[in-house]
Amino acid sequence: MIGNKSLFLGAAIIIFFTFMALAAPFLTEYEPALIDGSNLLMPPSARHLLGTDSLGRDLASRIFYGARISLSIGILAVGVATVLGVFFGSLAAFYGGILDSLLMRLVDIMLCFPTFYLILGIAAITQPSVFNIVLIIGLTSWMQPARLIRSEILSLKEREFIQAAKAIGASNMRIILRHLLPNALGPVLVNATLGIGGAIMVESGLSFLGLGVQPPIPSWGNILMESKSTLGVAWWITVFPGLAILITILGFNFLAEGLKKKIG
Amino acid sequence: MRRIFGLVPLFLGITAISFLVVKLTPGKPVILQYALNPKVSLEQIRRLEKLEGLDQPLHIQYLNWLSNILRFNFGYSLADGRPVKEKILERLPITLGINLASLVLIILIAIPLGVKAALKAGGLFDNFTTVILFILFAAPSFWLALLLMQLFCIQLNLLPISGITSLDFEYFTLPQKIIDILRHLFLPVLVSALGGITGLSRYMRANMLEVLNQPYMLACRARGLPERVVIYKHALRNAILPIVTILGLSLPGLLGGSVIFESIFAIPGLGRLFFEAAMMRDINVIMAEVVLVSILTMLGNFLADIAYIYVDPRIRFNSKA
Amino acid sequence: MALLQIKNLNVSFLINGESLPVISGVNLNIGENETLVLAGESGSGKTITSLSITKLLPKNSVVTSGEVHFLGTDLLQLKESELCRVRGAEIAYVFQEPTSFLNPIFTIGNQLMEVIILHQGVDRDAAYSIAVELLRQTKLSSPERLMHSYPHQLSGGMNQRVFLAMSLACRPRLLIADEPTTALDVTVEAEILRLLKEFKDKLGFALLFITHNLSLARKIADRICIMYQGRIVEEAGVNDIFTAPRHPHTQKLLWAYEKIGRL
Repeated sequence: MIGNKSLFLGAAIIIFFTFMALAAPFLTEYEPALIDGSNLLMPPSARHLLGTDSLGRDLASRIFYGARISLSIGILAVGVATVLGVFFGSLAAFYGGILDSLLMRLVDIMLCFPTFYLILGIAAITQPSVFNIVLIIGLTSWMQPARLIRSEILSLKEREFIQAAKAIGASNMRIILRHLLPNALGPVLVNATLGIGGAIMVESGLSFLGLGVQPPIPSWGNILMESKSTLGVAWWITVFPGLAILITILGFNFLAEGLKKKIG
Repeated sequence: MRRIFGLVPLFLGITAISFLVVKLTPGKPVILQYALNPKVSLEQIRRLEKLEGLDQPLHIQYLNWLSNILRFNFGYSLADGRPVKEKILERLPITLGINLASLVLIILIAIPLGVKAALKAGGLFDNFTTVILFILFAAPSFWLALLLMQLFCIQLNLLPISGITSLDFEYFTLPQKIIDILRHLFLPVLVSALGGITGLSRYMRANMLEVLNQPYMLACRARGLPERVVIYKHALRNAILPIVTILGLSLPGLLGGSVIFESIFAIPGLGRLFFEAAMMRDINVIMAEVVLVSILTMLGNFLADIAYIYVDPRIRFNSKA
Repeated sequence: MALLQIKNLNVSFLINGESLPVISGVNLNIGENETLVLAGESGSGKTITSLSITKLLPKNSVVTSGEVHFLGTDLLQLKESELCRVRGAEIAYVFQEPTSFLNPIFTIGNQLMEVIILHQGVDRDAAYSIAVELLRQTKLSSPERLMHSYPHQLSGGMNQRVFLAMSLACRPRLLIADEPTTALDVTVEAEILRLLKEFKDKLGFALLFITHNLSLARKIADRICIMYQGRIVEEAGVNDIFTAPRHPHTQKLLWAYEKIGRL
């Protein structure tokens, strides 16, 4: 396993940030929303490892708690997208015919929307909340898992072991669940891993624009939004959250590369 | 030609979904607008709704809206009452201009990068650029934009921080004006292009490698063609062919990115308009932009397909001689 | 005086830092206007041998020792720019699957004219007429139309004729044909072989013909070399080989052919 460097590196990074997210309360003595008027905009020091922001809040603690938001939104959103996608895609592939054509048409239409515009549009009209964000990202990202699982199943459908299963009278549902899906899920898994990185990117973007997670709940994206006003004065508020996003997404990308190699 | 007809259902689908999405999300826009104003009575709100046709059944509303769209009537902005069409038209050239410049930059940088990496595959240049691009790919563009702003605008004071023109633009001479615009647009175009560069150069590299392994490469060398001709005439042409498709497909990414960097750099373009409309729940502008951008994407894909058919002889001339 | 003399040629593959020999101690002579068949099973090193002659080896293979004398010069010592003048003009190649060995995005005419202009230094109009004439000589109908066609529009047989035209355009002294008819139908194969013989008689060149098909070899060869696992194991006149094979591998091959009644 260690021979697969990407897999190892990716897993290491993700475990690091997961730990950061889960253990946040223990890693820092400062509350992320604790305003400290006497310590505004302090650069990194022994007391505040990553410095403080314009309201005197400890940046490190905000980043730790921000990990919770970003990771959970990322994973949940991709979960929604993948479940939806696998569901529609496998149905379309298995039953074929009109169902398949309709679904593929729907996919084509959905793919015409520049995802970010669509997400932004919906986010603008709805109340920003973690639940909504997860839902929105999930509902606009199901197309790729759907396509993937569909093409995998289509190619598997005609293989011998499926004919054999049909011959002994296995019901359709059973065939899908027990025979087709397990073999077809490989690329979907890789896609999902990459997708988590993508979802984190989208959520950061939304929060950065003010349409995602609302302050004072810290999200790496909205910390960056606040850093806009202190640009040039407090470099740490810009650099660190961005680095967190970068390294986390890198972690998922490495993991995806590693998985790709394993699946072959 | 048949393909053009295929666009129609796509168009209908896009408009339908845009419409549905907006209508189905909770919160009536008009109410939002006036709910906090105690002087507006329920009666007036009802009248306003009737005026905007919001009391009709859903499918009638859709058809009304659709017929308006087709006549380029996008309604009025709820923010300032100006016709949406006007607002869009003033921003369109700016956004399109920046995105086009981005595309050009992407092509100019990514293609040589990818080709060089492929030619010396496994070498130092290849590995180095692969790593750098992999990291850049994972970096949020708005973060990079902020960092670049910090560096170029504040610390080095080389470039202006926002807008597309300086305050005393009107007093500049023509060459000064051009330089001023270029200075303002440098960072936005760069940031916009970064994502595309990572994607395209990786693709070029993969494509070039595949082409270099083809049998006809050996045959070209066996005929005595100098290596330079073999690579740049034969291999490169083959590798570049699918680029047209990629370019068409990168349009949505570019347009989406516009929202972010136009907001950061205070560029008065479509993206920023959309952002402001989003903040103010300006429904008409939002719907108009979503439809517009989706149509552009659809056209982009369509043109990319057509271009590829035209450019690849294997598809264009399918008949046997 | 032999046209081509390969002396003690050794070629190795470099994989993961290790050097694996592909062909060892290959000695081969071809006389003017002679047809030498290089026969053997797949993987015996025939193609690598033929490619090494003009240093056309793939990326991680290298000539570790040996000489290739052609008209008095050791080709292996030449620089790349000098080799480009030999390839296509003095020594030409024909390959197995003609359609994939032609660039799919350029017209036949474009590729033909390219070689002609390169080696003969004429202008485009002259090259065009020469090209059309060459196509006509390969018994292709409506050569003018073919000039504007693309490889994928022609059949394998037609493309092989085009390839022949390209290779013979500059009157090479040696034509190396690597399984040129293996991918073609039997009838087309017969036509191509007949065409090849015609050209050889008319233009006069030596032919190094690579094949794994011994009955074909018998029909066209003056001499035959059998390769096995990277070495030449037997070399003899065509009649001698079939009547008195010396190497055990040759004997096995012939026995196999006889068994299926192919000789």
